[in-house]
Amino acid sequence: MTTSKTNPREPHAQPYYITDPTPLPSHIPSVPEIGATSAPLLSASYFIGARCAPYNEDFMLCRSQGRTGETDCLKEGRRVTRCAISVLEDINKNCQAEFRKHWGCLENENHDLSRCRLDEAPLNACVAKFLNLTKVIPNSDGTPINDYETPSFFQKKVKAKYEQ
Amino acid sequence: MHMFGVAGTGMSAAKLLREGGNKPRVHRDAWDKMMMERDMRLTKEYRKQSDEPIAPEDFKTSSVWRASRIWDD
Repeated sequence: MTTSKTNPREPHAQPYYITDPTPLPSHIPSVPEIGATSAPLLSASYFIGARCAPYNEDFMLCRSQGRTGETDCLKEGRRVTRCAISVLEDINKNCQAEFRKHWGCLENENHDLSRCRLDEAPLNACVAKFLNLTKVIPNSDGTPINDYETPSFFQKKVKAKYEQ
Repeated sequence: MHMFGVAGTGMSAAKLLREGGNKPRVHRDAWDKMMMERDMRLTKEYRKQSDEPIAPEDFKTSSVWRASRIWDD
C-alpha cells in the first residue's frame, strides 16, 4: 500500500525535478541556441515566419510523420534554429531601437499584440525597408500588414518617415 | 484620508519593483508558464528579457524535467 507524508491512507505523487548536465554527444553537430526571451521572440515571430517558412514547414512535416522522439528531426530542428538566429541578428543590426520599443511594450501589456500597434508600425516599416521581410497573417488573403491599399493616416505618416 | 493614498502608492511601487517596472502578467496559460520558465533559465531573473540572438552555453544543459516519485512498497 502506498503511503505519503500528507495523508498516510491515500496514494500521493510528489513531484521532483530532474536535471541533466551532460552535453550532447559529439556525433551530433552542435548549433547555438536562441538567446531571445519570450517578448522579443513574439515581436520577431512574424518575421521569423516570413524568412524561415520552408525550414519550419520541413520540421513540422517531419514531426507529423510520427517522428516525435527526442532524437528525431534533429537536422530539421538545427536548420530552424540557425534561420531564426539569422533573423534576430539582422533585426538587432538594423532595427534595434524599434525592436526594443515594441517588445518593451509587449512585456508591459501581457504580451497582447493588439495593445502595441503604435510601436509595431515603425518596426514593420523598418524591417520591410532593411530586411525585405513583411508581416503576413497566416490563413488570410496574404496582404502584407504594412502595405494596405488604403492606409490610414497614421500608417501613411509612418511610411513617409521611412521612405525619406 | 491621505494615508490611503500613501499605502496604495507603496503597494503598487513594491509590485512594480518585482515585475521590473512592468504591469503583472495575468491569465497565464501553460504556454506562458513554459515561456516564463525558459526566460528564467536564460536571464536568471524574474521577467527580465534579453534579445540576444545566441544563448549562453549553460542554457543548453539547464533544462528541468518534472517527474513524480513512484512509491514501491
